[in-house]
Amino acid sequence: MKWYRADLHIHSVLSPCGSLEMSPRSVMRIAKEKKLDLIAITDHNSMANCMQYAQVAAEFGIDFLYGVEVQTAEEIHLVALFDNLHLALEFDKDLYKSLLLVDNDPDYFGDQVVVDSEENIVRFEKRALINSSCWNFDEALNRVNEASGFAFPAHVDAATYSVIAQLGFIPENSNISAVGISAKANINEVLEKFPQLKKYSLIQNSDAHYLKDIGSGFTYFYLEETNVNELKLACENKKGRKIKNRYRRTNV
Amino acid sequence: MILLKDFLKKIDGQILTQKVDISNTKIKDGYVSDLLSDVMGNAKEGQVWITIMRHLNVVAVASLANLSAVVFAKNYKPEKAVIDKANEEGICLISTSLPTFEVTGILYEMLKKTR
Repeated sequence: MKWYRADLHIHSVLSPCGSLEMSPRSVMRIAKEKKLDLIAITDHNSMANCMQYAQVAAEFGIDFLYGVEVQTAEEIHLVALFDNLHLALEFDKDLYKSLLLVDNDPDYFGDQVVVDSEENIVRFEKRALINSSCWNFDEALNRVNEASGFAFPAHVDAATYSVIAQLGFIPENSNISAVGISAKANINEVLEKFPQLKKYSLIQNSDAHYLKDIGSGFTYFYLEETNVNELKLACENKKGRKIKNRYRRTNV
Repeated sequence: MILLKDFLKKIDGQILTQKVDISNTKIKDGYVSDLLSDVMGNAKEGQVWITIMRHLNVVAVASLANLSAVVFAKNYKPEKAVIDKANEEGICLISTSLPTFEVTGILYEMLKKTR
């Protein structure tokens, strides 16, 4: 087993609020510079770019998980990760059907660009990805689990789109072992402000929408290999797998 | 102060929590928000909370703030687990077909007359 430096929340050019500079090769070039061993592309409500970014990640020797940032009915953001294209596409299909039927307005929200691995524009996604799924928080978590994925609420310390901001606190019975923390957060301060978080593993990520932000938040995972099951074990501190934050060691 | 049962009639509301006795429940004021953290921080005892948020945490937040009742506008109804929890906690849940704006307007008018 070894330590992997991971940033599991990065947007691509598909996210309307993401910069068009977030092309597959540029993302991987910066990820390499920032010494990331493992990344996930997590666009809003769609995995249409994951396969292409996975191909380029392989070229760069960066481990890759297929991700998406689901926006639930309560406007909570969840990161969901999957091991392979097949699982990702199955989930993506259901998620797409659950999205509100609103078209994107590129002038207002930005372009939603699907690219190929050579960075050519393939198409523009029409459905507004900035919108919500009709799944609520618990339902979305359960659906990710049923689809063999791993989900954690994103940036729980943030004032917007976080489970704590929207629901007041994390529901006791929710099916989660870890929560995401924003890149700028000081983990000790976050734990002081939200003592409830002490029982979860904290995964700090960049949530990068611009190249300069990739790797600004990261977390170390001690794993046999990089897959969803190993991440789950690390977050539960089981079978020797573990997780380590920048400012504070957890589960050690 | 007005009686919850009088307000219930005016909004043609349906009580979802049959086990909660509201015969003497009074309303001091109202609060309108769909953001639970906002309600937790600002709602006051004796208020009726008008919302379309249906998560289980609604019951905990209403209980924490000692609210008189929660009104779900636009025919929104929470799942059975939420209603069960509210019955347990003694929180009255009401559903009405009226939109939030109208429910709020009716409550505002009723409270204004008693002030």
